[in-house]
Amino acid sequence: MSSAESQLPWTAPFDARYPNMNQTKHCYKSYIDFHRCQKLRGEDYEPCQYFKKTYTSLCPNEWVSKWDTQRAEGTYPCKI
Amino acid sequence: MSLHSNHPYHLVEKSPWPLIASVSALMMVAGLVKWFHDFKVSLFLFGVVSILLVSAQWWRDTVREAAFQGLHTLKVAQGMRWGMVLFIVSELLFFFSFFWAYFHSSLSPTSEIGAQWPPASINGFNPFQIPLLNTAILLASGVTVTWAHHAILENEHSQSVQGLLATVLLGGYFTFLQAFEYSESAFSIGDSVYGATFFVATGFHGLHVIIGSTFLCVNLWRLVQGHFSSAHHNGVEAAIWYWHFVDVVWLFLYVSIYWWGY
Repeated sequence: MSSAESQLPWTAPFDARYPNMNQTKHCYKSYIDFHRCQKLRGEDYEPCQYFKKTYTSLCPNEWVSKWDTQRAEGTYPCKI
Repeated sequence: MSLHSNHPYHLVEKSPWPLIASVSALMMVAGLVKWFHDFKVSLFLFGVVSILLVSAQWWRDTVREAAFQGLHTLKVAQGMRWGMVLFIVSELLFFFSFFWAYFHSSLSPTSEIGAQWPPASINGFNPFQIPLLNTAILLASGVTVTWAHHAILENEHSQSVQGLLATVLLGGYFTFLQAFEYSESAFSIGDSVYGATFFVATGFHGLHVIIGSTFLCVNLWRLVQGHFSSAHHNGVEAAIWYWHFVDVVWLFLYVSIYWWGY
């Protein structure tokens, strides 16, 4: 991948599980899927990055930093 | 007060009830705030008891003015009917606000509750058990109250008493089943926005069922006492309208909160 291509903006593509609706759930599930994926396949497993790109493009940064803090403190309300 | 005045209006006499009712209502809401903040319920209970006593006596006076003093002319009665209609409309708006809160929270659930409705690990009531029975009970009570209404219009005294008695009993059965359902609940009013919207909406509906049943009970007593004729029966008619309103609100609660939200 050339450096020009990697700098192109990327947004989450259509996902049939979240059609024509508020994308909160799409963001939320992608965040959980990313961390479950990493836990299962290791941090170097490249396909997990798809979920990270998805939630990074959909979730407000404030939510992500809040959830990161909660995971660090062990208070994130969903099992990873 | 002359019964032969040259106008149809009811010029009311001096009464202590408006002032005492106002003070009681103030004690009740101030007591509610105190209860929420200090966990002391005494002022609220004092306000409630005071409101109940004023209500009983104010309406006793109104019944006397209507049934025994003949002060409720057709013109006066028409004003009271409009008053009841506007009151019921304001009650509909009261419940509309709870439905607004419910749909606001349930149509786009936040991530804090798992981005789903009902929220993660909330087990709601099965809508096809007691809530469906309650729907059938209220629909049946709508039939019996209409039976009573038509019996009054047709001067069928015994049938109107039977119809109203059946309605009051069905209302009592509904309240009993709701109380039982609450006691069996797997969640409380403090369990997320689900518990909050559920218990505020169904709780206020339950309160209105109790008020409506009391309203019907008083009018059953007035019916037995012979206060009503086929041409003049505003009291019982207001109670019947109110009961229909309570019934309609339940149908919306059942369809939206119990059934769709399950």
